[in-house]
Amino acid sequence: MRTEIDSFSGNRIYPGRGKLYVRGDSKVFRFISSKSASLFLQRKNPRRIAWTVLYRRMHKKGVTEEVSKKRTRRTVKHQRAIVGASLEVIKEKRSIRPEARKAARSESIALAKEKKRAEDAKKKAEKAKLAAAGKTTAAAKFSKQQMKGAAPKVAAHSR
Amino acid sequence: MIYLKSVLNVIDNSGAAMVECVNVLGKGNKTAGRVGDRIVVVVQSIRSAKLLAQTSAQNRVQRGDVRHAVIVRTKKEFQRQDGTVVRFDDNACVLINKQGEPIGTRIMGVVARELQQGYAKIVALAPKVV
Repeated sequence: MRTEIDSFSGNRIYPGRGKLYVRGDSKVFRFISSKSASLFLQRKNPRRIAWTVLYRRMHKKGVTEEVSKKRTRRTVKHQRAIVGASLEVIKEKRSIRPEARKAARSESIALAKEKKRAEDAKKKAEKAKLAAAGKTTAAAKFSKQQMKGAAPKVAAHSR
Repeated sequence: MIYLKSVLNVIDNSGAAMVECVNVLGKGNKTAGRVGDRIVVVVQSIRSAKLLAQTSAQNRVQRGDVRHAVIVRTKKEFQRQDGTVVRFDDNACVLINKQGEPIGTRIMGVVARELQQGYAKIVALAPKVV
């Protein structure tokens, strides 16, 4: 015994039920009832008839069980070493506690400030020296562009 | 339901295109012909020469010829032993000789499975059997 499926509605057809219609182009259609047969011959689109399997599949009706079975895919992230910091260095840096990080930061800031102060003092001292030696007024400060001057005008060679 | 004056398509390359039924053989009075029945036909129209190139000059039929034929498709639905109801889109037949062998050498289109008993040659020639 073999159950066929309805060409229009997708229902199962048991033997002895329904009709078999062979169209002029030799295509075979099976119908479980005059309802689906009639709709087919009226050239209705089963995707727009709400009770057909095609419609239900298209609008995902009643498939919640199948969806929940699907396994969720999770991507695993790998930490990679970069050129400049090996994996251990990255891990170390990541594992520093915030207080320690803050302390290190303030330290480096203090150091930088010290450095800057020293430099400034140095510059001042140099300036004072120059002023004492040369007695010249501070040279006017020209911007780089002013020093460069205007660009030469391009001579016309062609028309 | 083929009976007197029914027009059928001829789906072999015997040369005929349309035939008109004149008599249904082997059945009681006023019983219509069904798939697998033998009928007497009159050739009403013939096919163009291109298709006939394959059949020999002897086998070619002319308009007005009276021949035998077997019904292979009916528009009227018929029922099978397993309960299936089958309906085709047209009425069609294959011309045969008095011995029951097809006159043509090729069959175009689908034929009903009911022909397997008695007309095995036609079933063998057919491209599709439903």
